[in-house]
Amino acid sequence: MSNGTTQQLAEQTVRSFVARVKPEAPELELDTPLYAEGVGLDSLEAAELSALLEDEVGSDPFTSDEMPQTLRDILAFYEVAA
Amino acid sequence: MSSEPRVVIITGGSRGLGAGLVQSYLDSSDLVATCSRSITPEVEKWQQEVPERFLFVPADLSKSADCEAFVKAVIDKWDHVDVLVNNAGVARDGILGMASEDDIDAVVDLNIKGTLHMSRLVSRRMLARNTGCIVNISSIVGRSGYRGLAVYSATKAGQEGMTRALARELGSRGIRVNAIAPGYLRTEMSHGLDEGQLQQIVRRTPAGRLGEPDDVARACQFLTDPRNDYITGQVLVIDGGLTG
Repeated sequence: MSNGTTQQLAEQTVRSFVARVKPEAPELELDTPLYAEGVGLDSLEAAELSALLEDEVGSDPFTSDEMPQTLRDILAFYEVAA
Repeated sequence: MSSEPRVVIITGGSRGLGAGLVQSYLDSSDLVATCSRSITPEVEKWQQEVPERFLFVPADLSKSADCEAFVKAVIDKWDHVDVLVNNAGVARDGILGMASEDDIDAVVDLNIKGTLHMSRLVSRRMLARNTGCIVNISSIVGRSGYRGLAVYSATKAGQEGMTRALARELGSRGIRVNAIAPGYLRTEMSHGLDEGQLQQIVRRTPAGRLGEPDDVARACQFLTDPRNDYITGQVLVIDGGLTG
């Protein structure tokens, strides 16, 4: 799987997850904070997204050393990992 | 009560109490996955009798990679997990002053770390479904202690602490976490006790006998019954009244 495809799949997964659990959240930009002062994901929602990415994409940025703070961080993980 | 079969993981189900738990959930028409380090005649029997409802994966749950492979095999086959019973455990008896580092590591790595790894892998998948049950099989020695079982008792008390913490952590998502503390059962785990000790236990037990795997399995079915969704963070003692 190429980087582009992996990142596209990851982005699609994150966007559909956010749309489902935070339908009232503002448009998700690459640098919108995922937690407080941004999308507003709580710790259980972050864990749920982590499991979802593991299932859909095959690897998971949330269990790496640095917790991703934005969609850009998540996509950067797949750029390195792919 | 839903008529859909539940997907049930029972760790360490190849013999003793674990095998009794597997049989109980097969009897209630559920889909049952279990693991152990080696295969047993009971496992071979289920593989032949109910291949479509039974999954066995060889695994040493003290290794996190084995936990991941086991959970992945269950998800690949049945998509999700409704019930996790953390039953796998090991005891090494002997006074603590004579225990080796390996004795301590073996018991802690399986009983505590294996239970945490499995609960982590399964609970994160339960989050998306907003439902699920985890039952940890602890032991009355985690509460009362027993000479020669300091490490084992520590891990069992630890499992009960984990039970209460995880119940608080996951309650808002409809995931319930409870524990069962069995007394002395007529299984291999009690083989460290000699006949005299077992007879003494029976004399002190109001129910007048040792426990059977099915005594514990019925309690486990009760805790994992979806109708009992107001019970979480509890430890149910099944010991014939010994510590009552």
